[in-house]
Amino acid sequence: MSALLHIEGLAVSYGSVPAVDGVSLEIEPGELRVILGANGAGKTTIIKTIMGLLKPQRGTIRFDGEHDLLRLRPHQIHRLGIAWVPEGRQLWNTMTVLDNLRMGAFEVPDENAVNRRIGEMFERFPRLAERRHQLAGSLSGGEQQMVAIARALVSSPRLLLMDEPSLGLAPIVVRDVFMLAQEINRLGIAVLMVEQNARQSLKVAHSAYLLELGRVVEAGPAAEIAGKKSVQEVFLGGTA
Amino acid sequence: MPNLAFFEPIAIFTLLNVAMTVGLYVTALSGQLSMATAAIAGVGGYASGILTVKFGVPFVPAVVGGAFLGGLLGCVLALLTLKMRDFILKLTTLAAGEALSVLAFNWDYIGGANSFTGLAPHTGLLTCVTVAAISLCVAWRFDGSRLGYAARAVRDDPLAAASMGVSVAQVRIITFALGSAIIGMAGAVQAHYLLVVTPSQLGFFVSLNYMIFLLFGGLQTLAGPVLGAVVLTALPEALRFANEYRLIVYGLIIVGVMLWRTDGLLGRTPLGVARRISGITLRSARLPQSMLRAEDVLSPSTAAAKQTATTKSR
Amino acid sequence: MDLFLQQLSNGLVIGSTYAVVAVGFALAFTVLRVIQFAHPDVFMIGMFSGMMAACIVPGGGLAVALIGGAVGSTAIGAVIERMVVAPLRGRDVLTTLIATLGVSIILQNGMAAIIGPDPIPYPRLLPTQFYEIGPVLLTLRQMFCLGLCAVLLSLASFYVRGTHIGRATRAIAERPDVAAAFGVDVSRVCRITFWLASTMAGLAAVAVGTLYGSASAFVGLLYGLKAFVCMLVAGNRYFEAVIAVALALGILEALVTGYVSSSLRDAVAFFVLIGVLYLRPDGLFGSYTT
Repeated sequence: MSALLHIEGLAVSYGSVPAVDGVSLEIEPGELRVILGANGAGKTTIIKTIMGLLKPQRGTIRFDGEHDLLRLRPHQIHRLGIAWVPEGRQLWNTMTVLDNLRMGAFEVPDENAVNRRIGEMFERFPRLAERRHQLAGSLSGGEQQMVAIARALVSSPRLLLMDEPSLGLAPIVVRDVFMLAQEINRLGIAVLMVEQNARQSLKVAHSAYLLELGRVVEAGPAAEIAGKKSVQEVFLGGTA
Repeated sequence: MPNLAFFEPIAIFTLLNVAMTVGLYVTALSGQLSMATAAIAGVGGYASGILTVKFGVPFVPAVVGGAFLGGLLGCVLALLTLKMRDFILKLTTLAAGEALSVLAFNWDYIGGANSFTGLAPHTGLLTCVTVAAISLCVAWRFDGSRLGYAARAVRDDPLAAASMGVSVAQVRIITFALGSAIIGMAGAVQAHYLLVVTPSQLGFFVSLNYMIFLLFGGLQTLAGPVLGAVVLTALPEALRFANEYRLIVYGLIIVGVMLWRTDGLLGRTPLGVARRISGITLRSARLPQSMLRAEDVLSPSTAAAKQTATTKSR
Repeated sequence: MDLFLQQLSNGLVIGSTYAVVAVGFALAFTVLRVIQFAHPDVFMIGMFSGMMAACIVPGGGLAVALIGGAVGSTAIGAVIERMVVAPLRGRDVLTTLIATLGVSIILQNGMAAIIGPDPIPYPRLLPTQFYEIGPVLLTLRQMFCLGLCAVLLSLASFYVRGTHIGRATRAIAERPDVAAAFGVDVSRVCRITFWLASTMAGLAAVAVGTLYGSASAFVGLLYGLKAFVCMLVAGNRYFEAVIAVALALGILEALVTGYVSSSLRDAVAFFVLIGVLYLRPDGLFGSYTT
């Protein structure tokens, strides 16, 4: 089993309401995979369950072929090399940009390594470097997304979980975000992205899943998914 | 085997507590969990006492007066807390209750620290049964009425309720007033049993007791407050033989039940066991439960802003 | 003017004790997201364990009492955390409130069963000495109380702002899920925070016992309510706000006692609470979302 992350038969409910109903999916090391779905399809539920923030009713999640993520708590999952870019950024608004990045590597013992990483982030995102002592809550939407992504990268993860990174951003910024995801992926980091924006995400992804009402209804290479009638009608505004 | 007279005080207190808790239940239906129950009851007691002793008003009208004053107080509290979210609301009502208690302590006209005495013993077992029956009746009718549904809607999602044409402010005021009227009535009757009304009866610890009855039994159905009041009033009495330790056991039971109830406090039915034991058909909640999360408490401003926007648009 | 300054100082002393208890409450509330209703009773246990230590250990003085108080309160706090708070984590706030209320009942009545419901005299750990500071008269006990609380509060503030773990408590308070997802062991931090709050309460309790010269099983009741009021009035955005509000409350109470009437003292807190929350439901200094 070469998959970096392997999910089998996942079922998650909120009370008696099922949000995810028997989902199996996986992602290979270094791959950029997208889970497409409309609101309420269960995308964020899957991400939160991987991160250990939600408990599923059924199913298994295996990382690296050996770690059973369902047995671990979120901070332990983070330690394995999985980092989360939450829906809506979810920065610590009353903390500075720098502190947000520092918190991204909270339990990494090597201070020098962390500082080096933060330096690298500021090099890559000069806009953030300028604003490093500003409160995160005072940044623009696009800048906040950069902080959220940088915060996830500080711990040098092997798998990045991105939850609707384009949500609420201006179109020009959206393009940058997807380019950034691709750039991160080209460095060797696997990216599992959940999105509603099919057009842009299918441009950068290797492969994709289509999630509907908690179930995977389509799976395959990005180009193939983009050509499917169901995707075209729901996401791309009708058949070309 | 002790004779019936032994059980009479227990029965009276149980019935009165049932009435009070049912009143609290009515208020809580719209999401306002008042912590001023004892204060409202006390106000009812003082009112009825003053009316009978100082103005010579007969018993029943005096009780009605107590109920009326209780309802009025409920109105005031509702208006005071209209902008407030769940949790802050509870605390404000608690503070209001305490403030009333201190006021009572210092107001010599109504006896001040020496309590209000001289009440005539009008209350008997039959009176209490009547009071309890009236409260249950009113609560039952209210529960199943359109206003009851509206109250639940306001409790679970004020914004959604408002967008369906429900006046959140009106519903909250009415339920608070109605529940408080019931409590006031029970308080008035209680005063004529105890024959004194003391300021300490208005304190928060007593109010807390009623809240425990309600939450212990379950908030969602009418059987909840009844069960809670009955069990938690009878239990300490039954434990009277171990007088020193009965409160400790009481505390242990509370902790135990909280740890044991796996579905949280706002469950659809009261204590799981009760559902199987009693033959009563328990009406389950019609709307999805809203669990009070810490997030709701710690970031009240978004929800409060929603509510303000809602009430302002009326 | 003299009366004013005197009451101001008295109020400051009392306010600092409210502050220590309120800070403990606030830490538990914002970090653990629970209302630890029994926190004031942890305070009470600290008072008595300090007293016991001073009586049992031969030649036991203030230092022994302080250690005994800290140990006792931390121990009971740890037990409560392990047996009641931790198992109920993630559930309704009300569940934990009621459960800790049950604990509070157990502790209060347990202690009352042991020593009786009335206050008992506290050992004389500090001599009765008066000091004149300008127009103000303060006892050695008052000054010790104020000093100890000031130290505890500074340490708490340093903890929250300066230490690694302390910063994590802020992160947890603002966004617990995200904190957990970036490596914060939330339950461990909660546990440590709980213990710290309990230790602080125990130390302050010994100081308060010495100050009043008496201890009662039910001392937690009024202390708890006022500390709670402080927490709500201050809002949870700025940690130091709780301290400021508590000090202000102490001063306000002292002024009311001095100028108006002592029987209204306990009502001050509640009027303040109603007033502030009516105008600013998030507390004077706001919450994280304002």
